[in-house]
Amino acid sequence: MLAYLVRRTLFGAATVLGVLLFLFVLFFLVTAPEDIARKSIGEKAQPEAIAQWLTNHGYDKPLFWNAEHPADTLLVDHFRRMLTFDFGVSDADGVPITRRLRDGVWPSLSLTVPLFLIGVPLGLWLALVVAFFRDTYIDRMGVVLCVLAMSISLLLYIIGGQYLIGKMLRWFPISGFDPRPSVVFRFLALPLMVGLAAGIGEHVRFYRTVFVEETGRDHVRTARAKGAGEGRVMVFHVLRNAMIPILTQVVLEIPFLFTGSLLLESFFGIPGLGSITVDAIQGNDFATLRTMVYIGALLFITGQVLTDVSYTLVDPRVRLG
Amino acid sequence: MRALLVAVALVAAGCTNNPYPDADAGEKVLYAAFSEPPKTLDPQVSYTTVDHAITGPVYDKLFEYHYLERPYRLIPGLALEIPEPQNLDGGRVGYRFRLRRDVWFHEDPCFTEAGQPGPSREVAAADVAFALMRIADPDVNSPVVPSFARVVGFEKFGERLAERRKADPEFAAKRIDQQYAAVGPIEGVRLPSSHELELILTEPYPQILYWFAMEFTAPVPWEAVAHYDGKDGRDLFAEHPVGTGPFRLTRYDKRSRIVLERNDRWYGVQHPEWRAPAAVYPSEGEPGDAARGYLDPSYTGRPLPFLERIEMRLDKEDIPAFTKFLQGYYDASGIIEESFDRVVKEGRLSDDMEKLGMRLDRAVVPSIYYLGFNMTDGVVGTPAGEKGRKLRQAMSLAIDSKEYMRIFQNGRGVPAQSPVPPGLFGYDEHYVNPFRQVNLERASALLREAGYPGGVDPQTGRALHLTFDTGDTSARGRLRYQFFVDAWRRLGLDVEIAATTYNQFQEKVRKGSYQLFMWGWVADYPDPENFLFLLWGPMARSAGGPNTANFADPDYDAKFVAMRDRPNDAERARLIRELVDIVQRDRPWIELFYPESFTLTHGWVRNSKPLGMSFSTLKYRDLDPDTRDRLRREWNEPVTWPAWLIAAAAIAVCAPGVATVLRARR
Repeated sequence: MLAYLVRRTLFGAATVLGVLLFLFVLFFLVTAPEDIARKSIGEKAQPEAIAQWLTNHGYDKPLFWNAEHPADTLLVDHFRRMLTFDFGVSDADGVPITRRLRDGVWPSLSLTVPLFLIGVPLGLWLALVVAFFRDTYIDRMGVVLCVLAMSISLLLYIIGGQYLIGKMLRWFPISGFDPRPSVVFRFLALPLMVGLAAGIGEHVRFYRTVFVEETGRDHVRTARAKGAGEGRVMVFHVLRNAMIPILTQVVLEIPFLFTGSLLLESFFGIPGLGSITVDAIQGNDFATLRTMVYIGALLFITGQVLTDVSYTLVDPRVRLG
Repeated sequence: MRALLVAVALVAAGCTNNPYPDADAGEKVLYAAFSEPPKTLDPQVSYTTVDHAITGPVYDKLFEYHYLERPYRLIPGLALEIPEPQNLDGGRVGYRFRLRRDVWFHEDPCFTEAGQPGPSREVAAADVAFALMRIADPDVNSPVVPSFARVVGFEKFGERLAERRKADPEFAAKRIDQQYAAVGPIEGVRLPSSHELELILTEPYPQILYWFAMEFTAPVPWEAVAHYDGKDGRDLFAEHPVGTGPFRLTRYDKRSRIVLERNDRWYGVQHPEWRAPAAVYPSEGEPGDAARGYLDPSYTGRPLPFLERIEMRLDKEDIPAFTKFLQGYYDASGIIEESFDRVVKEGRLSDDMEKLGMRLDRAVVPSIYYLGFNMTDGVVGTPAGEKGRKLRQAMSLAIDSKEYMRIFQNGRGVPAQSPVPPGLFGYDEHYVNPFRQVNLERASALLREAGYPGGVDPQTGRALHLTFDTGDTSARGRLRYQFFVDAWRRLGLDVEIAATTYNQFQEKVRKGSYQLFMWGWVADYPDPENFLFLLWGPMARSAGGPNTANFADPDYDAKFVAMRDRPNDAERARLIRELVDIVQRDRPWIELFYPESFTLTHGWVRNSKPLGMSFSTLKYRDLDPDTRDRLRREWNEPVTWPAWLIAAAAIAVCAPGVATVLRARR
């Protein structure tokens, strides 16, 4: 187990270095920093102001090789900053990126955590119900509804939800965010409903398949033969043994709770990490963008390791070595 | 069970689309949306409308624009009067600014941190000088350094500062005011007394006064700049403004919520007896203001401001923002394209909107959009001589600005006849540019005279091929440019759109390898000089200036300089007319339109006249919170029956199945 973890971490580190190199090529070789400068200080900026901006932000250093100070190049800077988590300041407004991440993580979590905590059990429960009523019209209708729900783009859910619930029925604010406890629920309700509606189809379909497969197994038949009730069979014999494929999906999602949802946050105006990424793309804020991509890569690698570890916890047959 | 009941009650209580806490109802709070986070609130740096919406009410300037009068007129703000220029030796010009006494900065911890006796201190002329030094400081990266180049010793100060910092790291680590004191002062900025500032320019530049109506020159306390350095958990000065204005920033979550609160230390509140021009509601305006309710006797002469608080919310997508406005949760809004025809009918508010008690305020923005020719080009430019001029005249006659605005702007704008937009001295509403009327026959005749009969280039025997260069590769941009290409095709010309990335386009412009382009310009200040300088030879793009047409005409240049240095008198008006005539004849530009802003405000908002420029007028605004509260409740009653219907339908669909299965399994 330990050897496996070490090996896995080393693989992860190599991947991270690759990602960093790729980011460097993308952000320093493909795009010109002048573009970022102009976006930051305005179209009317004179060439001198742009040159000054580049100096102030350290973009005027040589890319790979500096004969006088070999360590003073953009490449070295990039790796040093990312590996030491010293992300510097935003290209768009000079705010320290670490502070921006800290400010953005709570709004993101306030949406993604409830979405996860409600979405997964709700999906499991609905899938159990559908599997319980398998081969009846409830099952068939459930499958049709799930496929239908999966086929619709998230954007349509967002716009439809805003129009129907925010505008026509006036249940919740159409968009916006306010972290004050007296109002925060109003703002989270609609994106939660939309996020749940958009994600539930896929979850239910997937869990149902796993459950139906499990219900055909010998141990389930044995349980039934021993006279266990159908409810008990579903929860104790089917659900528990269907955990491996479910965990693969669920655990992988956990690290991404921190990065938020790009579309939901953007359209509902939630100032989380997802909308920071979208803003960074739109505002040519490369310093923030490369940080977000880097963090995304780190979280993905962490998620994979966590998934592997979780197998051993739910299934004693799995051994990592 | 109790928990469930509590949860249900909570949900029911939260079931409202009101985005604000209930406790806020009935307060004199103005609600506004902002579409993107401000970049910086550093007054010496901020240069966008979004930034100015915050810095405007927070930082008072030495001068301001009269709220109602047009053409725009400067009135004293923190200064006691608008100074007259004094001619000095060697062609130099001086201005003496006298500042109001007993004006205080917003209360802020930075003052006690810096050893001041209280949480604020009085503003002195040195604070204006400090602001000017900040503009010159290369580390501040102010975008307007060239505009102050005529201040004696201005650039030298910046150079000295940069040199000392580079040579001596210890100096660079000193407090900012100590650095400035060691290197300064700027030679042309003198402080004859604590509340007087003398500005000395190397040559006449009357427009310098306008720069003192912008936040760039607003007095700034060195204590705030020194304290808010972003280190050890302290804010950045760019995020923590400390000014003297009628409102102070009390909350700055720029990605969701910004709050400004009335500043009770403001000189207008502390000293209503001064009746300072920028601290009372004006009693004179332009014709028509009285009829539109901007000269209501219940406001004229009253001390400002009227609002208690301004709550701004980030709303990036314009459809949700507009919906919230229609629900009464924002007090004012622009008009989104998707709803334009529903809201505005023939330039007026539609009946539906009028029934809701709204009003529509229109203002022509002092700005212009134009098509330009690169005058250094061999085919369309000056080297082609008379041939090139006739080609430009012909192409100008083919472009229909009205049609363009109808298609792409919802008709929002005024067809432009000259580079000088309305609202500025020298704008002549009766002037008709003969080359800005669509006349294809005359255009064809001119093309024939130019040696391109039917648009055909005799050298190749094919249609004359020109390129339209742009840095906009979007589909929408392409449609816009296609409109012009189609218009010129009617003359037989073959214009190709060369769309590249913005950087490649900039590179082409730098090298001078372009023929046609589209550009816009928004006024920094309402003076014709700020538009006519766009065609002044020394400002040519090839020399790094904003004269992208590279237009250079000795006659124009001489007249421009004469016009620039004159006060607004008959001679200046005559010179402007002559400059406009040169542009009319030579056609380096095809003037398209002056954009017009359409603002919708709810009936409960008072004094909403738009200024047309990005200067804040929030201190003049007022509103009636009770009417707003009543209408909001009327308009936003939640519709709950669909929830019950969905629940009932779900039970009705599932119940028989559940019953059947349970029965079978039993």
